[in-house]
Amino acid sequence: MNLTQQVINGLVLGSGYALVAIGWTVLLGAARLVNFAHGQLYMLAAFLAWAAMQKLGVSYFVAVPLSVLALGLLGVALQGMMQRLVMQQNLTSLMIVTLGFGYVIQGSAARIFGGDPQTFASPLEKASVHLGELWFTWQDVVTLVGTLLLFGVLWLVLNRTRLGALVRSVAEDPKLAQLFGINAAQVYIGVFVFECAAVALGAGLVAPRSPILASMGFDEVILTFVVVVLGGIGSVGGSLLAGFGLGMFTALFGALVSPAYTTAAAFLVLLTVLVVRPGGLAAR
Amino acid sequence: MTDSLEAIGITVRYGGNVAVDGIDVAVPAGRMVGMVGANGAGKSTLINAIAGWSRGTPVVRGEVRLAGQKMDGLPPHRRAERGLVLVPEGKGIFAELTVMENLALVRPPADTRGRHAFSMDDIFTLFPRLAERRGHKGRMLSGGERQMVAVSRALRAAPAVLLLDEPSAGLAPRLVHELLTTMRGLVDRGLSLLLVEQNARATLELVDELYLLERGKVVAREAASDMKDDPRILEAYLGNLTA
Repeated sequence: MNLTQQVINGLVLGSGYALVAIGWTVLLGAARLVNFAHGQLYMLAAFLAWAAMQKLGVSYFVAVPLSVLALGLLGVALQGMMQRLVMQQNLTSLMIVTLGFGYVIQGSAARIFGGDPQTFASPLEKASVHLGELWFTWQDVVTLVGTLLLFGVLWLVLNRTRLGALVRSVAEDPKLAQLFGINAAQVYIGVFVFECAAVALGAGLVAPRSPILASMGFDEVILTFVVVVLGGIGSVGGSLLAGFGLGMFTALFGALVSPAYTTAAAFLVLLTVLVVRPGGLAAR
Repeated sequence: MTDSLEAIGITVRYGGNVAVDGIDVAVPAGRMVGMVGANGAGKSTLINAIAGWSRGTPVVRGEVRLAGQKMDGLPPHRRAERGLVLVPEGKGIFAELTVMENLALVRPPADTRGRHAFSMDDIFTLFPRLAERRGHKGRMLSGGERQMVAVSRALRAAPAVLLLDEPSAGLAPRLVHELLTTMRGLVDRGLSLLLVEQNARATLELVDELYLLERGKVVAREAASDMKDDPRILEAYLGNLTA
């Protein structure tokens, strides 16, 4: 086993986990909301980009932004439909409703795109870099750099701008925010749009690694859940750390033990961390 | 004198319970109106209803007009934009935001005609302590400092009428006196203010007019100078003031 190669694999894998999870981190942490259709949104974004390439003949570099835009619009629609539940912070109903959305999205995607696996190809996936015995693709580089950039910008926005203070204020007390002249419903729309657009970007960068299926999404939502909880709910830095940690663990466990037991082992790590540090890795 | 704020026939129900029963309130321009009453009299429910705000789900009836403009039906953030600004009882600031972030959340209106605009400098002149604590998070402040931030936040919104709910709750008497005196100074500069208080003695000394509430109804409304001798106030709230 080449340890450096496994570390590279782990970093790439981890950046993908973190990227797919970032929308949920903001949604749950900054707005105290949940969206269990997250995995199906990932699937839908991948298929939309694939369809844009197949049906419209656009390149991968146009298809992914189109998919991000489409998911952002879907975020507006979803939030519009759930506005009353969101304003009441009714998390139990939101969980059920978003689970329902997930099944509707999955069923619709199967009907429209069919049940067969499709190849969502990125030209960057075929362009590889060889450094001695080490190997990675430009897709890996873009995913890693894009994730670091997105997390950095997001951290700055949330912690250093008025927009970030708006989101944090609504997360802390949406009722009180109204007295500050803040339209909490608009802030929630913004957060939903970010969640949907971010998962679409994640799908655009991560999904080309393997064939896409209308039935996919469950693994993504589970891994997202692990990353968000492991990192400490709502912690942007914690999610990044947890994403990389999980990626590294998956790569090394897969190489050293067996890829077959990686998910079970990852949950064992999650349980251990939560027993030792109930607030997650970022807890102070 | 024209009324900055008129609330007419305000009724608030929680389920089958009537918390406020057809109350009329008027705050003339540049005046400080006080509202006193025992716990459960409906003071906070009334002032929240005027602001269109509640943590519960009350059913509110009645009209609210700000400088003649209809406010009822508008959500609280729209009323705040128009100058009807509430400082609620208790938690009136964000604990996880710094003093500066709390104050910067409010976007003062572009058109401040008929409003009372306060710059950050004005705020820090009014409450110098906040200038020293500007980088501290809300949860690290004392009760008095939090109340200063809550009031300052409201002032940043350039209120036409300020609604102040029990600012003295949990504060030392000296701080209460300082805060209310500061508020009176702003009224003397033209601000219209509706103050809900349990501390009738402090309120009577500062307001121009006083409403006395009991069980959701107004049982007395007079000039504060006349109310000082009202036996209902003396008996219920001022104790041995005249002894």
